[in-house]
Parts: sequence; structure tokens; C-alpha cells
Amino acid sequence: MGPSGSGKSTLMNMIGCLDTPTNGTYEFEGELVHEMDDNQLASIRNRKIGFVFQTFNLLPKATALRNVEVPLIYANISRMERLELAKESLTAVGLGDRMHHKPSELSGGQRQRVAIARALVNSPSILLADEPTGNLDSKSGVEIMKIFDELHEKGNTIILVTHEEYIADHADRTIHLFDGKVKEDVRNGKKAEPEAVF
Amino acid sequence: MFGLIWENYRISLSSIFANKSRSILSVLGIVIGVLSVTLMGTMISGLDATFEKSMASFRSNVLFISRMDWFGGDFDWWELRNRPRIKQEYGEKLRIRSQFVEAVAPTSDRGGSIIRKDKQIDTRFFGTTPEYLATNDNTEIASGRFFTEGENRSGTRVVIIGAGIAEALFEDENPLGQHVKLGNHKFRVIGVTGEMGTFMGLFSLDNQAIIPLGTFQRLFSRRGWMSIRVKLNTSNIDEAKEEIRGHMRVIRGLKPTEEDNFAMPHSSTFESQYQAIKLAIGGTGIFITALSLIVGGIGIMNIMFVSVKERTREIGVRKALGATQRMILSQFLMEAIMICFLGGLLGLGIAFGFSKVINQFFPSVMPYGLAMGAIFLSVIIGIVSGLIPSSRAARLDPIEALRYE
Repeated sequence: MGPSGSGKSTLMNMIGCLDTPTNGTYEFEGELVHEMDDNQLASIRNRKIGFVFQTFNLLPKATALRNVEVPLIYANISRMERLELAKESLTAVGLGDRMHHKPSELSGGQRQRVAIARALVNSPSILLADEPTGNLDSKSGVEIMKIFDELHEKGNTIILVTHEEYIADHADRTIHLFDGKVKEDVRNGKKAEPEAVF
Repeated sequence: MFGLIWENYRISLSSIFANKSRSILSVLGIVIGVLSVTLMGTMISGLDATFEKSMASFRSNVLFISRMDWFGGDFDWWELRNRPRIKQEYGEKLRIRSQFVEAVAPTSDRGGSIIRKDKQIDTRFFGTTPEYLATNDNTEIASGRFFTEGENRSGTRVVIIGAGIAEALFEDENPLGQHVKLGNHKFRVIGVTGEMGTFMGLFSLDNQAIIPLGTFQRLFSRRGWMSIRVKLNTSNIDEAKEEIRGHMRVIRGLKPTEEDNFAMPHSSTFESQYQAIKLAIGGTGIFITALSLIVGGIGIMNIMFVSVKERTREIGVRKALGATQRMILSQFLMEAIMICFLGGLLGLGIAFGFSKVINQFFPSVMPYGLAMGAIFLSVIIGIVSGLIPSSRAARLDPIEALRYE
């Protein structure tokens, strides 16, 4: 976590292979990211990383199900399997009954859950969430954080960017950034249950 | 791979139909282009078919001797006007002199009404000699007979009517032996010619009436226009034409320095004239097509730039979700192709409607090969004009694109 302009999003983009460092190197599973071509980067983003954005970034004209299918299409997975995986993923975030709704027909919290389902559908190694509760009311925020906690318990690696202390409290390890530098790296274990925070 | 193509196809359709009026406006150039190329093709195919059919009545080994050519060239009108008439005797003279003449038939014609009781139709009737049938393979006597040399010489009032006239005036009755009036003169019908159709869809060949030349000259005009049909016994038209031209010059008494004061039209004159018309239609059509397709292509490129700009954020998301540059490129390229393809189909649909209308005036068919070609061309335009906007989309920096508002 860190204040605006501290470099949180840039670090996130680099971990997510959207950006490459101007200086230094970044290895992903032992390979230098800045030496990869577009196809390799896209493939990593597709298979190893799941993105959750502050503004959800769903495709507005597509249903929840089709939104979740998108990464599977780029992974070249057959139609039947795609449908199955997407449904599974949506059910996992509690949207089994909202699959055929368009984003405009869903609440903010539901939209973010669709985004999480989309991020998870390819079973990525890392889930990257950039201020996932930033555009949500506190109740929806709690729901989302609950989902993240559950995912974490199932063994998913989640990297979450925030500048809210109570969101950061969910994490096992908190890295504080300031002006592009690591100011503090705290490995503190789980501090509190979400219910206790609010 | 197929999944991606299918997905792109769906995205493109939803994008095109989400902006219906924009799509229609941007594709207008393609629509007009396809419309003009298919209509041109329809016209030309119609002309071709009609021309082929009509040319059959101008057998290629029939030469005409007349005062003027069928189609004006760079002639001096006064020179043409002052040319001496073509005389009936030229035919006989040519028959004696030329080795290429198989049959000759002088013809003289005029317009007029043919009347029977209360029915009347406007027609052309012409006087000729009994040899006429030998010079025209297309005219057949369906019933009755042609007139004889005796009837010709004595100026008997007998007429051979075309199938069209027979139907109009007599319907189910047998016209043979009945009487009709040409102008003020009563004629006996002795024959009916078989159906020949129309010439270039302009006038019916079945609405002609044939009478003996002797009768024609006696009743109507002695000094009218005359031309002589010369049926050749060779297929070497050029050689025969040169030889006959020489004889004609002698008959006309022309000095070597003087130019011909007669013309020798032949069906090839039609042919070359027709080719020129066809070329003009084709040239104009291709010009309009090319122009509207270029404009159409620019329109598509423009709308694709707008589409890419509008969906910058979507492109960023798609890249974050694992789309490669090629996948993004193919998505937008597909959209450009689909919009052009649909535009092409629209143009084709309109052209199909138009061709039905044209068909009312003269027989024509829309050439399917050309229609397929037009659609293919639209797709090519989609690819060409979509390439730059699509590759711009593909090369967008994902972070910039995600930040785009």
C-alpha cells in the first residue's frame, strides 16, 4: 500500500506483465520479462495472471457469462469447456443466478464479482487486484474482501493494491511504497476477521 | 482458432448493429460501388444477349448498298445529302459483274398504318423483289406464300404480314386471303412470316409488312430511299466488299480521285458500334465503381479509427486478459470486413431489385459471377481499409489503453 503516486500501480502492471521495467530486471518463473515478445507476454497474462480492476472493466454489451469467457477464448479453449468453466467460476463468486445479466443490470459489487470470476477462470498463479473496493460502497467492499479471503484460504496468491489500512489488514504481508521505493515490508499474518473491521 | 474467429464475428456484428446509422452511412460508398458494378454488368449482359439475338437477322454474309452508313462518322452532312440515289438496277448490274453475289434484293421502305376493319396498327412496310427471301435467312414464310415475279412486275396488291401484325389484326382468324388497307390501298394477304422477335428490344421485327417493289413504287414512291441487300457466296466479307466496291464505283461513274458516294454497311458495322457502346458503358461503370469504392474505403477506414478510439479501454482490458496483438488485429479487421461484406450484400440486394426493373425494359440477367466478384471486392476493401486502424489498435500500449477515459 501507499499514497497516490507512490508507484503501486506501476509495480502492479510490471508484476502483471503489462509493463516492463525501464531499469533492472523482472523474472517471471525464471524468465526475463523484458526479453519476451508480445505473444509470450499475452500468454502469461492469459494463463498465469488474473486482473481485477478498480473500475471493473467489464465489456458492457456482453453478459456476465460472456465476460468471464473472454480469457478462455484467448486461451483457445473449446466452446463447451469454456461454458462449463465460466459457469463454475461465476457460481464460485455467488453469481450462479446472474450469468445472463449484462453489467448494466448488475450492482457494483456484483460487477466486481464478475470481474473476479473472469480473473479466476483460467486458474492463474497470481490474482492482481488494483483497488478492487475503491469504487464500491462499504457493504459491497466487505463482500468482495470476503471473497478474496476465501480464495486466499483455498491457496490462491493475491496481490492487492490499496491505500486503505483496513483493506491492507486482510493481507499476510504488507509492502508500503513511497515515492517509488519500498518503505516497509511487514509479514504480519492475518490480523483480523472482516466482520471485526466494520 | 475457430473459437476466436467466431468470437470476433460476434463482436463485429454486435458492434455494427449497435451503431446502425453510423454503419450504414460509412458503408454507403461500398453500397454504391457494388450497386454500380453489378448494374453495369447486368446492363452489359442484357445488351449482349439482346444483341446476339438481334444480330441473327443480319446474317454476316449480307452486305448492304445504301446512300449512307448506319452510323454517322465524320461525314459532311451536305455531301451525304447530295449523294445520288441508290437505284434498283444496281442489283442486277452487281449480279452480272461480281463473282461474289449469290442473291440481291432491292428494298424500299416507309412507315404507315395497316388497317383492317376497325383495327389499325402502325408499322413499317417495304417493297422488295421475290429474291428477298434468298437474302434473308431469318425471314420465313410461316403460312401462305411469298409473291411472285409476275406479281411484282404487274404491281399486284398483295402483302406478306409479320406474325405480330397477323395477331393484332386477325387474332384467331386465318389472315390468308383476307384484305387489309395500307394507307388508302387495299391489299390481299398472301403470307405470314414466322416470329422473329425484336431488334435490340427497340422495334419488333414481327410488325413488318412486305409488298412487291413494283407495287410499292407504283402506289407510294418511285424516288424513295432504297438500299440493296446483297447476299454473298463467300464468308470472306472484306475481299467481297472490296470487289463490289470497285464495281459500284464503276457503276456510279466515279473518277479515281473522287470518294465513294455510297456506303456499304455490313453487320460488322453494328458489331464495332456495339463494342464501342459496350466499352463506354463498361468504362463509365468501372470509373463510378472505382471512385465510390475508394471513397467507401476511406469511409470505412475513418469509422474504424473512430471504433478503435471508442474502444481503447476495451482493447486494454482484452490485452490484460491475454489477447495478443494478432488477436486484437483480427478482431478489428473482422469488423471492417464484416461491415464491407454487409454493405456489399446491401448493394447487391438493391442491384437485384434494379435489375428486375431493367428487365422490364429489355431482357437482362444479373451475372452471378460478377455479383460474387463484387462481394469479394468489398471484402478486399474491408481488409485494405481496416488494416491501418486495426494495427493501430493492436499496437496500443495496454497500460495507456486501460487508463483511457
